[in-house]
Amino acid sequence: MANNKRYWTGLDDLHQTEAFQNLQGQEFPQHQAMDEALGDESLTSATTGRRDFLKFMGFSLAAATLAACETPVVKSIPYTNKPEEVTPGVANYYASTYYNGQDYVNVMVKTREGRPIFIKSNTSTGVGHANVRVNASVMGLYDSARLQGPHLEGSGSSWDKVDAKLAQAMAQDGRKVVLTNTVLSPSLQRSIDTFCQVHGAEHLQLDAVSHSAIREAAEEHVGSKGFPAFDFASASTVVTVGADFLGTWADAAYYASEWIKGRQPESRDMSKLHAFETVMSMTGSNADTRTMVRPSDHGKVLVALHGAIAGTGETGGLEGPLLVAVQNAAKDLKAAGPRGLVVAGVNDLDAQRVAAAINTALGADGTTVKYNGEGLLAGDDKAFAQLVADMNKGDVAALILHGTNPAYHAAQKDAFRTGLAKVPFSLSTAGLADESAARCTAMAPDHHWLESWMDLRIGGTRIDLGQPTIQPLFDTRAAGESFMAWAGQAVSGYDLVRLTHNPRYTSAGMYNDSEWNSALHDGFYMTGGDMPDSAVALGLDIAPSIARLKSIKGGGMELALYQKQTMGSGDQAGNPMLQETPDPISKVTWDNYVTMARTDMESMGLNTYIAQRDKASVVKVTVDGEPIELPAFMQPGQTPGTIGIALGYGRGDGGENIGKAAYATDEDGGHLQTGEGKPMPIGANVFGWATMQDGTPRYDVHDVTVEVTDKEYPLAATQIQNTVMDRGSVVKETDYTSYLSEADKAKGRASWNKNHTLAVHEDVNGDGIIDAQDSKKTSAFDLWKSHPVEGIGHRWGMTIDLTTCTGCSACVTACHIENNVPVVGKDEVRRHRDMHWMRIDRYYASDWSQERGAEEGVGVIASYTKMEDPSANPQTVHMPMMCQHCNHAPCETVCPVAATTHSNEGLNQMTYNRCIGTRYCANNCPYKVRRFNWFNYQGYAKFQNINPSQDSLTRLVLNPDVTVRARGVIEKCSMCVQRIQEGKLNAKKAGAPIVDGTVATACAEACPTHAITFGDLNDDQSKVRTNANNNRSYHALEEVGVQPNIFYMTKVRNTESNES
Amino acid sequence: MRNKNFQRLGRLLGTTRILTIASLMVVQSLSAQSIWEDGDVDNGQALFNANCASCHLVTADVLAAPGLAGIADRWGSSDELLVQWIQNPQGAAATGDGYIRSLVERYVGTYGWMSAQAVSADDVRDIMAYVQNPPDVDVASTSDNGCINIDELPEEKTEDSSTLWFVILLVMFLLIAMSASGVNRGLTNAIREREGESQLEDLGYLARLRGWAWNNMVFVSVLGLFLVAFGVVKGYQGLMGVGVYEGYLPEQPVKFIHSVHVCENEVDCKYCHHSAYESKHAGIPSTNVCMNCHKAVKKGSRYGEVEIGKIYAAIGFDPETGTYFDGEGNNGHYGPQDSFNGEPIKWNKVHNLPDHVYFSHQQHVVVGGLQCQNCHGDVETWSAGRIASVDHINTLVDKYPGLIELSKPTLTMGWCIECHNKASIDLASSAYYEEMHDRMKDDVRGNEELRRILEDEKITVKEMGGWECSKCHY
Repeated sequence: MANNKRYWTGLDDLHQTEAFQNLQGQEFPQHQAMDEALGDESLTSATTGRRDFLKFMGFSLAAATLAACETPVVKSIPYTNKPEEVTPGVANYYASTYYNGQDYVNVMVKTREGRPIFIKSNTSTGVGHANVRVNASVMGLYDSARLQGPHLEGSGSSWDKVDAKLAQAMAQDGRKVVLTNTVLSPSLQRSIDTFCQVHGAEHLQLDAVSHSAIREAAEEHVGSKGFPAFDFASASTVVTVGADFLGTWADAAYYASEWIKGRQPESRDMSKLHAFETVMSMTGSNADTRTMVRPSDHGKVLVALHGAIAGTGETGGLEGPLLVAVQNAAKDLKAAGPRGLVVAGVNDLDAQRVAAAINTALGADGTTVKYNGEGLLAGDDKAFAQLVADMNKGDVAALILHGTNPAYHAAQKDAFRTGLAKVPFSLSTAGLADESAARCTAMAPDHHWLESWMDLRIGGTRIDLGQPTIQPLFDTRAAGESFMAWAGQAVSGYDLVRLTHNPRYTSAGMYNDSEWNSALHDGFYMTGGDMPDSAVALGLDIAPSIARLKSIKGGGMELALYQKQTMGSGDQAGNPMLQETPDPISKVTWDNYVTMARTDMESMGLNTYIAQRDKASVVKVTVDGEPIELPAFMQPGQTPGTIGIALGYGRGDGGENIGKAAYATDEDGGHLQTGEGKPMPIGANVFGWATMQDGTPRYDVHDVTVEVTDKEYPLAATQIQNTVMDRGSVVKETDYTSYLSEADKAKGRASWNKNHTLAVHEDVNGDGIIDAQDSKKTSAFDLWKSHPVEGIGHRWGMTIDLTTCTGCSACVTACHIENNVPVVGKDEVRRHRDMHWMRIDRYYASDWSQERGAEEGVGVIASYTKMEDPSANPQTVHMPMMCQHCNHAPCETVCPVAATTHSNEGLNQMTYNRCIGTRYCANNCPYKVRRFNWFNYQGYAKFQNINPSQDSLTRLVLNPDVTVRARGVIEKCSMCVQRIQEGKLNAKKAGAPIVDGTVATACAEACPTHAITFGDLNDDQSKVRTNANNNRSYHALEEVGVQPNIFYMTKVRNTESNES
Repeated sequence: MRNKNFQRLGRLLGTTRILTIASLMVVQSLSAQSIWEDGDVDNGQALFNANCASCHLVTADVLAAPGLAGIADRWGSSDELLVQWIQNPQGAAATGDGYIRSLVERYVGTYGWMSAQAVSADDVRDIMAYVQNPPDVDVASTSDNGCINIDELPEEKTEDSSTLWFVILLVMFLLIAMSASGVNRGLTNAIREREGESQLEDLGYLARLRGWAWNNMVFVSVLGLFLVAFGVVKGYQGLMGVGVYEGYLPEQPVKFIHSVHVCENEVDCKYCHHSAYESKHAGIPSTNVCMNCHKAVKKGSRYGEVEIGKIYAAIGFDPETGTYFDGEGNNGHYGPQDSFNGEPIKWNKVHNLPDHVYFSHQQHVVVGGLQCQNCHGDVETWSAGRIASVDHINTLVDKYPGLIELSKPTLTMGWCIECHNKASIDLASSAYYEEMHDRMKDDVRGNEELRRILEDEKITVKEMGGWECSKCHY
């Protein structure tokens, strides 16, 4: 029987659809792409068949494999003419001076094979100390965004054409203005004066962040213009009202290194600092007493201080705790008398007049405040305002900008931009096509400061010198040289400087002038003559000022504009090292945000917790109808009812080429785009929000509106926890009275630094009972065989004084640059993959404690949860944290490939070429200081816009003595072993023992307050040994028993007791 | 001789004066005692070799500056000016003396200014004594100084051709085997045909090989075992050779011959590789160092003007006129010009260490006191730089007393740490080590450690931390 069962190929077959019937007739259905492709006749005539293709593939693969076995030939190209002072492999150091319009520091520039790679302070002959911005500025030299030559009308040009165009413009009628930052160089001043004289131009100065009120007050006060010279070192009580003098206010790089001289507890004469401020600043976080003040009350605090000191009883209308805080400060000031010092940060003439009057009332004029006409920050805001008005009227024929970028940082930036478009000829000497330069007719780029000859005079009889450490990389021309050329008196930049100081100088005497040569070696010389005397106070009538300050009314929400330690005024926005250095207070990297108090955020329903997946709420801040949206950040210590926004962000709002790292990047490393298709700036520019007060910008707004939006924004912070949560062995802190009462006790005995003990199950104290009283010192327990480091050979170690550490982060950046630490960008930082070898942990005090929990009947676990929250106005501790180089290191025991081992000199060594990346060590490290190298930062596209080693020019900054680590290894602080090796080699070559202080890690060298001391613990005479023996020194997490070679020194806060 | 007579006259006058004006001692005493007489020849020779010999010869020949033969007769100015001319040539020229001016005009353009020499007037007298009476120079002595004659230098082989021959032989053998097997089959078939048997199955080579192997199992197993063992040994050796570059001798852009420079002409290693004493890099000399001699030596003994011409092309020097070019292609007068855009000589690096190794020459040469030959072999008998093999270096122990014999291949980590384990440190050699020693002696645990270290009666580099990872890796 025939099988009539039928199988269908599908439902179409069963139902015999039309399409199926159509297809059934065709064995090879048409309309298929494959069919078309195969039917391509040209393929059959191709000479390369499929088999040939496979053969070629196979051969190429084999060839590639074999070729990979062959070591590539490495070229070695010596100098043709070797410069006499260069020996390949040996670093040269040159004394120079950094000045960017505000930061002013004598530095030493380290060069290798003619490349500047590191900047440190000139500690032997210099004044002040390099801060984080100065350290990082070496990156700017190698910025590939730098202008590579003169530009005319937006395209590359030649110097002849630019000079000719300028000469043409100068022949026109109208105001001709040279607008610069504060010029401190006598030579540059001379060239500008010459230029102005020849062309009938005028010279105006403008500072990025105006400090002009204090100068004006000084002029009224003593009759001569000039920035007062403050002596923070000899002041015994300092009161700051909104002046972040440790971070960004005026000559902070100098003040910080001076103030710390009076902050040594061992001297028994520790100075005291009261801070009144709105936003938690570095100064506030280091203050002994910090009081939160609304911006509108800054003047009233000064008035009340004056009232209390002058005895007028004037309280400025203040009351309650604020008045008490002011009176406490006044009490200390009065006690200090001539050694008291009051500085006010608010750029308000009336406030500065009152501050000056307080110092006079204290008798501090001539002691801690000297009026001898320092040249610093001489910007004239009123003249600039007039210039902007004239530009808009079309009265300005030519404008030359040098060292200033008003289109970005002027309070009238919008008016300046419209005015600039009306100026027939404008020129900028900026090295980058910044917001102003890009809008100018011509760009005549100045050398980078590392390429220029400079002379600088901040005041007195000292002239600081700057010398080029590299040939100009591009076709740039020193500004002084340009001005002289435009004045028709062409002279080289070098001759210009020499001639300023010796009019009889000729090039024949170029090398034979030993005085000049030794001045250049030291980085400065004295002009001779006497230091100008401190001017005598004429007396101020401050009654009108007091009346006005008292009448200031605050709004519902007030805004303080502040500067961040890392970004300053924003001139280095394109510097990836600075962007990645966390803000010393918030620990946020790469971003601008609105700082808010917890209470305000909670009442508005904003996120107060920022973490990898917890994004910040975006708020809309409106000033004068102009809204800006920024993420809100919960800042402990922020005055309730106020917000703070940092200046220095929002660079490049027109997509100007100011450096790849200046713009926000997305998760894949590309630039985020604005609506107009331009790269998106990081944060917002709030310079325009400064309130104009008597013609000068005051960086606060007394009435703003803050609205909640439904947007969220990721913020990348390196530290998201705020408190130590009752862990007593991380940070040790005491107050000055307690310190003094036990200052002579042996190490481990004082109540504020007791040896840690662990309870044991044996009768230690012999009372017959085994209980909690039976305990032994941590050192009695050990899992490890001891390493022979104590007393044998070297034992490298470090002490970190928490009393003097201000958290300024200069060490973080110095470490970053010295050790080629990769920059990883915001997205990676947010994922906690930041690579910093050293970080500064910032801990806030909490109101809560287990004792309080017990009193109030709150459970232990709930109490710990409450301890996570910092106080509303917390005391702050900055704790630098890097590899502790434990003698009994837990990381070493767990490494399966012995990639991390202990050296006989006490170093915890990390051998990258052995590491296979198991990360056991990182997991076993109690200090969390080992960083895993997740990516090929030198090549992966995610880091194209931020990592210096991805730019063929910027990578020249890398330190040739330190490996650039490959992907997949753990890296960590090596205690700058390359420097240790160098120091040992130098000693061996000299045939002499190592002199204490000659070997220093990058962080120790960079520390402006000398909080970090590095040296040989086995050298009994060394500073580090003395510090380690000091009774304030302790090991972090001593109970873990890992015996670090790094010692911390108990923080001493100059307060009466912990409660005050 | 007339000059000399004048000098004597001057000296006489001077002597008269010195009796009367005793206060002008310094200058006058010089005149009193002629610079051309009473010098110490031996001391002069030492001084000459230390200060002058790199540019001047005592004969009339030009090295990098005019030869000094007959200088006593030539010198047309005062003795003081001769001393000053040596101590500070520019200063002497500034005096405006006519003879000095003529020297400047004649020579400075060609040879550049002489660098100022730190010698005293008495030193100059000694040098002049030597220059006037040089011991006989044995010019022919170069032939038996133990140097390899450049004609005897082995030609640099570019490639090892034995592998190629092996492959060709193998292919030929295979062809013979295959044709023999074909002939064999043909013959077998012919026999079978004659005997009326069926023809052999027409199998492929592979199938037949399999059949053959099946029939000769013992032989094939033994052969297979042997081949596997051979493969393992070869593979192991090959892997151990990864990163070993003994004998690496890359071709160089300039056919530089160490033998001619170091052995025959006795130029010290550190004349060119001076930074070995100052830096981590021994360095390849910059072209201007070559010019110190080759400004005068314009023709090489093997390659004539060809190879030396490459130096001139790099630095911009015209051997015809003996002058340097400046950036505009003109002949300049002031020495090598920075602005000349010559292509630098791109040498091929011979001793390549991986990037993660930090090696410092000065540590080994200055502090450790090692001889160059300990790591580089007898480069002075060789042509271009090459990586000497450890076996070769070991054969040099007799020639260079103090060489440390090692066994691991050169430039491998095994070789480094083997030496660090063998080489000893003399604690008394430097106050640095004495300090380290004292610290150990003063410490209880240090004393124990010291005893342990001194069990073999020496302190090795390893015991001072020479095996610590971060000695070399950071």
